[in-house]
Formats: sequence, structure tokens, C-alpha cells
Amino acid sequence: MVMKLEYDRSLHEREYRAGPFEITEEMVQAFNRSIRETTPIFTDRAAAQAAGYRSIVAPPTLCTLLVRQVQLPGLDLKFGRMQFHAGQRVRPRAPIVAGDVLVALSRLKEVYPKTGRTGTMVFIVWETTFQNQDGVVVAEVQESYARRE
Amino acid sequence: MPYFEDVQLGDEIGSLDTVAGDGEVAAFCQMWGNPMPNRFTDWEEAEKARLPGPIVPGIMSMAMMAQLVTRWAGPTALRDLDLVFRQPVPHNKPLQVSATVTDARQENGENLVECDIMLTSAQGDRYVGGKAVAALPSKPR
Repeated sequence: MVMKLEYDRSLHEREYRAGPFEITEEMVQAFNRSIRETTPIFTDRAAAQAAGYRSIVAPPTLCTLLVRQVQLPGLDLKFGRMQFHAGQRVRPRAPIVAGDVLVALSRLKEVYPKTGRTGTMVFIVWETTFQNQDGVVVAEVQESYARRE
Repeated sequence: MPYFEDVQLGDEIGSLDTVAGDGEVAAFCQMWGNPMPNRFTDWEEAEKARLPGPIVPGIMSMAMMAQLVTRWAGPTALRDLDLVFRQPVPHNKPLQVSATVTDARQENGENLVECDIMLTSAQGDRYVGGKAVAALPSKPR
């Protein structure tokens, strides 16, 4: 039997914008330190410039830090009480370099139920696209949340 | 970095041994702008969330898993990293990231290698799993 989910479906038609976010060298270096990153083009401006970049390159998942800056609405989902971060997807499209200025555009991608051994959960997937100052899409990020009773 | 032609299905990548210490998780949360205290840095908040202790944020685990791919294939080679958070990842414990090649294909002019990737404890407990896709160069002719 197909489960009928009750939530605000009009959210599928809306987009939520946030930014601009300047990617500073300090931000990239702080990210590097927190994950013990040592790759030269991520950490050393001279190495990045020698490789043809304007400045240090951000590790490819750095933009995930910015997703929560987008103010997203509640779904008014009539299911479950407990919600947790179930998954994350990043699709880097172009290098992000210190000095870039990004904007984020989020939309509700899908809401679907899934039944497994532990019962039924409902998955909520938000998709955020990041563009740089030249209008180039640099990354797409999906965050999945699972709600269960 | 390897050439596309040298990669075989079933090849193993890694492992990358790492750890997320208390200070690193706190620094990550501060950079992320997560309100403090939170379940990633505070025992009481973790217990309120029915967790065994403060945990590593999912996006920090993701960043550590991406390191395996960028160190193997090159810093700008990652094309897709799609992860499922299976269990909370603890602080201050040895972690291992490893991957196995499951597909190699040419798509939109790129040589793509797809892998199953996972983050485990030193004892093999699977915390995070998923799929990674990286672009590799062709061997010079």
C-alpha cells in the first residue's frame, strides 16, 4: 500500500537563496586544520598559484559548511517525532578558490517513505546549488534527513 | 595519481588512518557556526540526543572521507561523494577510510572511476558508507 504523506507540498515550488559568502583563506585554512589536511594546493598559496589557481583551493566538501546558512522552512510533515541527519551528497562542479564569493540556492528535492527492518521512516531531501561570482555552478549538495516515530 | 587505464575493478584504495580529536571537532563546529553547546562537543547535549557521547558531525566525516579520494586521484578529481550515516562517529578514536573500485567508465569526456567508500573504526565497525566518483587522467600515448 502506498503511504500518503501529509506535508506542505507547495514547498517544492519554492527556492531559498542565501549569501553572498566570501570564501576566505582563513576559512579554508581552518577547515584544513580541523581535518588535518596537508595537500599543498589546499594549504599553500604559492603551490596553488604554481598549479594555475589565483589562491589556495578549498577542499571539495568545504561548501557543506554553508548549507545551514540557508533559512529553510519547516515541512509541517505529519509523521514522526525524531529526525536525524541520514545522508549527505556533494557533487563538486568546479574548484572553489579563496577569494570566491558564492551564493546558495536551495529547494526541496523530495520527500519519500521507506520501510525496512526497523519500521517506516520518511526521508526529506534538500538540494542546494552554489554559484560563484562569475555565475559558474561550483557545487551541488544534497542533505537527507530521516524522520521516524 | 593513477592513470585511468591502470585501474581495475576490485582495486582497493587506502586505507587513510585518521582521528577526529575533541579540539578539531570543536574548531569545526565553530567554523560551521553551530550553536554551542551542541551534541558534537558537549556530553550533556549528546546524552539528551540519546547518543553515547559527543559525535563527529556528518559533514566533518564527509570531509575526512573526501581526503582519501583527493589524495589518491588528485585534489580536484572528486566528482561525486554520496554518503549514508549509519552510526554515530566517536571522537578521539582511530578511524579508517577505505574504498574499493566498482566501476570505470568514460562519460562526458571524462574518465570516471566509481568506488564503494566507507569510514570504519579500527575494529571494522561501519560508521559511514557510500559511493565516490573521481575523474582520472588517461595514460600519455
